[in-house]
Amino acid sequence: MDAEVREVRDFLAAHPPYNALPARVLDDLPSRLHVRYFRRGSVILELGQPNNSLFILRSGAVDIRRAGDELVERSESGTSFGTSSVLSRQPSQFRLVAIEDSLVLVMPGEVLFHLLATQPVVADFFGAGPPERMKRAVAEIRGDDSGRIILKTRIADLLKRAPVTAAPSLSIQQAAQIMARERVSALVVAEADQIVGIMTDRDLRSKVVAAGLQGTLPIEQIMTRDPLTIPSSSLAFEAMLEMLGRNVHHLPVVDAGKLVGLVSSGDLMRLETANPVFLVGDIAKQTSAQRLAAITARVPRLVGQLVDQDASADEIHRLVTAISDATTRRLLQLAEAELGAPPVPYAWIVLGSQARHEHGLGSDQDHVLVLDDSVEPAHDPYFAALAEQVTAGLELCGFPRCPGEVMATNPRWRQGLAAWKRDFHAWVLEPEATAVLHAQIFFDARAVAGRTELADALRADVLAITPNAQRFLGHLAAQAVERQPPIGFFRGFVLERHGEHQATLDLKSGGVHAVIELARVYALANGVTAVNTLERLQAVAALGALGTESLADLTDAFEFISYVRLRHQARQYDQGLVPDNHIAPDSLTSLEKKHLRDAFGIVRRLQQGLAFRYQTHVMT
Amino acid sequence: MNWSFGRSSEPRRSRLARSAPSGPLQDYLNTPLPAPASPLDQVRLLALDLETTGLDPARDQILSIGFVPVDGVAIALGGAGQLLVRPTTQVGESARFHGLTDDALTTGVGLPEALAATLAALSGRVLLAHHAAIETGFLGRACRDIYQASVHFAVVDTMALQFALLSRGFDDEPPQGSLRLWAARGQYGLPHYAAHEALTDALACAELYLAQIAELQAGRSLTLKAVLSA
Repeated sequence: MDAEVREVRDFLAAHPPYNALPARVLDDLPSRLHVRYFRRGSVILELGQPNNSLFILRSGAVDIRRAGDELVERSESGTSFGTSSVLSRQPSQFRLVAIEDSLVLVMPGEVLFHLLATQPVVADFFGAGPPERMKRAVAEIRGDDSGRIILKTRIADLLKRAPVTAAPSLSIQQAAQIMARERVSALVVAEADQIVGIMTDRDLRSKVVAAGLQGTLPIEQIMTRDPLTIPSSSLAFEAMLEMLGRNVHHLPVVDAGKLVGLVSSGDLMRLETANPVFLVGDIAKQTSAQRLAAITARVPRLVGQLVDQDASADEIHRLVTAISDATTRRLLQLAEAELGAPPVPYAWIVLGSQARHEHGLGSDQDHVLVLDDSVEPAHDPYFAALAEQVTAGLELCGFPRCPGEVMATNPRWRQGLAAWKRDFHAWVLEPEATAVLHAQIFFDARAVAGRTELADALRADVLAITPNAQRFLGHLAAQAVERQPPIGFFRGFVLERHGEHQATLDLKSGGVHAVIELARVYALANGVTAVNTLERLQAVAALGALGTESLADLTDAFEFISYVRLRHQARQYDQGLVPDNHIAPDSLTSLEKKHLRDAFGIVRRLQQGLAFRYQTHVMT
Repeated sequence: MNWSFGRSSEPRRSRLARSAPSGPLQDYLNTPLPAPASPLDQVRLLALDLETTGLDPARDQILSIGFVPVDGVAIALGGAGQLLVRPTTQVGESARFHGLTDDALTTGVGLPEALAATLAALSGRVLLAHHAAIETGFLGRACRDIYQASVHFAVVDTMALQFALLSRGFDDEPPQGSLRLWAARGQYGLPHYAAHEALTDALACAELYLAQIAELQAGRSLTLKAVLSA
């Protein structure tokens, strides 16, 4: 009489790794288990105690603590624990304590070992199977990401231009002029298509300038003869090893006796795309929007690498913003080169996440033009053309146009300083909540090009009036506290219940944006000039308007939610998906879920503080 | 609780065994039950739940029997069982309460077979039920009908335990409804179960028992005698 204990079976069917078991195995599993009950505060497994059972938390909550009482994990319903001591057959390195009255399913060790041996999904999940070991090994290699790329890239992929060559009889001075004109650090010296030598910046420094040699001498006197060469099919790391071994920085690339290019140590270092300094440097050299787009296309992968390297969300945001800023500046330079000098000074102001130094993946463009007050209507065609060219370039570089038309291409957002001041005064003194809602983005503004003093003047003017604009601040506060962090109570996340994002968490609305809006209200209420969310919070705390503990909590919460969001977006990009803000809780570890829950809880608590201060419930 | 039953019931069970026909009932009565002085953490029980057409053993019928063993402080799911009992008359309207239709029940076994299996599972175990009068009443009646003999169970009743736990230190009676199985479970943070079939209710009762003895034994050890009710 084999009775299926349906409640237990259905419970297992809802939690990994058991949810991936074949039905036959899953149906049979409950009859192999025991049920135990542990009162709050009782020890399930003591530190140093031998253990031959896997525990699956049915209900309640269990803390897993290391020696010294450090909390490793807080288990929630569906979590399996006790695995390490069963698998290692060593005394437990953890103390398992029920922190709520808990019902626990107990799987005897022999049942677990049988599952591990017969069910690869279980072996994978508990890290005991070959696939998991492989994954870990790969992850270790990936830890040094620059190495990975250098292992895969071939020299042929690095060659961007034909090599610059010179005859051995050319004078040193003429050769130096060619190098300056072509912006190269080395010349291949060739005679009748045969490489005879190489001359580099270093030769000019050490053999000519330092030795006081005449510039009229032929370069064959200072060149390095018969240089080491490399075929274009070589891997980048091979070229790097050759360079390191011989202490040279350039290698002519030769295929079948024919010179096809020159590779420098700089080219190889540029492979370290994780170093955005190179990206920014590259951006400044590009001569068209298309070429810029080829560089910005590397940003999503860069974000993925930075996430893997455990860079902080703040660092990643700043790097991505630096690239966005450089792209905007270069596009403006290119537009000015085409359209001529501007008729009056201007400041190109970015708004929103770019202004806050919080650019991530998938952000659209938001920008306006602040013009010197000497502007005349006749000047507008110039700025309209400038705005359109830059906006089109940004679009090509992966920044979608703002659906709300908050862009310099919109004549409404292209005006003189005085007109901008009038707009801001109207918003700050505006009694209507909806108008304030739409205007919020303008309060996160930063000049990235042109006359930044125009932006500074506007900001000083605005911040002089916001601290006393109680109704305006009240509206902002009401909007800030309206964003509900997706948390129900201790155990559960509140998931999006509708639409295509069913059963996912919105990391943006109630998470990242809730903190951004909190910081904005506090900053405007206290006349703080910072725009970056963390800087705003720090400045507000320095003024005593936010407790140091709240500052620390909110900083952690913002960092953690932002990091999870960036990682989620980078993974989506890897899978060929459009990055969004909706994450499935299943993709999080239980520790991450716990942290996220804590983070949302902090946001909620500070929202309540803000609601109380501004009495938002009486705002309309 | 009726403390007079704290004494061993073995002499009485031996007497009953002698008057029972050989077979499942006699085997059950001849297998010793845990002694009342046994430490609670070592007592073997069988959580039992019956679905019936009504509350009167003389008139109503057993439709389904669910059980799961409890070994000390652990529920052994491997010993779980559920039986559908083919009724001798139509179930009809009562299906509204137990969810068992006439169609489903025709797949069941006859009551003699179900009773034999239940007594075998109960062998050497204390009967554990929530409001155990239903289980003991219907099983006693079935033994008389089928074996023309009486039976005696050692019983732990989680409803009686819950009453005792809620009354500790208070003069007032426990609030109305707080003794029902699902309300009692809620007080220990036990999960909500959707399906109300015999086996689910037996498991629910077994889990409640573990929670109750954990509460009762906080900081001390008790024997079976402390929880035995009939």
